[in-house]
Amino acid sequence: MTLLGAMFLAVACISSSAPLMPRACAQQIQFGLTPAAHHGHVELLSDNVQVIAGVPQVVQLWFRVDDGFHINSHKPLDQLLIPTRLQLELTDGVKVMGDTYPAGSSFRLQMGSGELMSVYQGRFPVSVRLVAPKGESTLNGVLHYQACGSASCFPPQSLAVRVALSGQ
Amino acid sequence: MFGDQVRRLAIVVLLIAGVTLLVLAGTHNLRSRQRQIQSQQQSVGSAAPASASSDGGGDDDGDDPMAKKMLGKAAPGFTLVDLQGKKVSLSDYKGHPVVLNFWATYCPPCKLEMPWFQELENQYQSRGLVVLGVDQDDGMAVKDVAAAAKKIGVTYPILMPNSDISKSYQLGDYIPETFYIDKNGRIVDQTVGAHSRDEMQADIEKAIESGGE
Repeated sequence: MTLLGAMFLAVACISSSAPLMPRACAQQIQFGLTPAAHHGHVELLSDNVQVIAGVPQVVQLWFRVDDGFHINSHKPLDQLLIPTRLQLELTDGVKVMGDTYPAGSSFRLQMGSGELMSVYQGRFPVSVRLVAPKGESTLNGVLHYQACGSASCFPPQSLAVRVALSGQ
Repeated sequence: MFGDQVRRLAIVVLLIAGVTLLVLAGTHNLRSRQRQIQSQQQSVGSAAPASASSDGGGDDDGDDPMAKKMLGKAAPGFTLVDLQGKKVSLSDYKGHPVVLNFWATYCPPCKLEMPWFQELENQYQSRGLVVLGVDQDDGMAVKDVAAAAKKIGVTYPILMPNSDISKSYQLGDYIPETFYIDKNGRIVDQTVGAHSRDEMQADIEKAIESGGE
């Protein structure tokens, strides 16, 4: 790619909400941005990841929560709240050895006594420790979560997670 | 030589024009999305005064989560089971103003509202007010719902749901959702999302006064 071409693509990616370029950007930064509205208020951003074949490593899977909404972190402060949890299947010779979640950010309801919660907002990663085979394989699973807005909540959801792994 | 310079200049001009177009398109799209998000935040579940004052019932509201589809209609009858296993029907409270509140244990805004419903039920007990909570947890054991209700601090009847009541009250995806029913069994207000205590009280008074003394 020429310098001018790279500049052109970079500017296009910065203005990635423009309808012209999301696929090119997605390939460049390996984010599978889905521009369409997602009913459950959470989307998977990482749908294509390059890994080193046969070596234990940590792969970060990025998700995005819609603006104006939050989901509980993996360790909510109230035991009645539903934690965010990634459930992965074993497929295509991919060996999953564990996952770790980021700490939630503090969120206080802007009403009543203002209950304090531990939540994910915007983009957040789930780190998966795995060993992938050489060539193409797929990581399949489900993200379990429950989303709320400022004064209302959405029922618990299960987001299908499908990530293409390219083992080099 | 001169031709090369012209060609380079033309490429640069074209690139600048292209980049400008993309930035403008991106900015326009971003502003549009921000407006959309602002609109959603104002309408979905915020304690918006509009939701407490508008009177636009009817069935032509499409997928608008704030639509008051049941406003002005007769409250559909139901028979559900409470936490002690006793059958409870809406008809048991004929002649009483009733608050029917749909909630779930995973819903923090619901849990903030519920103690206010309890206080208001106590306050308006002499005028016959009845508050009924309908749990919306999917498959949660009765004892866990009971423990949650106790923790929240409510003593009014909590009913376990069935799919019929969700259909008959045309519930949307968001909770809490609350129906204010007058003594004649008519729905005088319907709210989606948690509201302030003052708005809840105003809706309760509307339900009490609507049915006549």
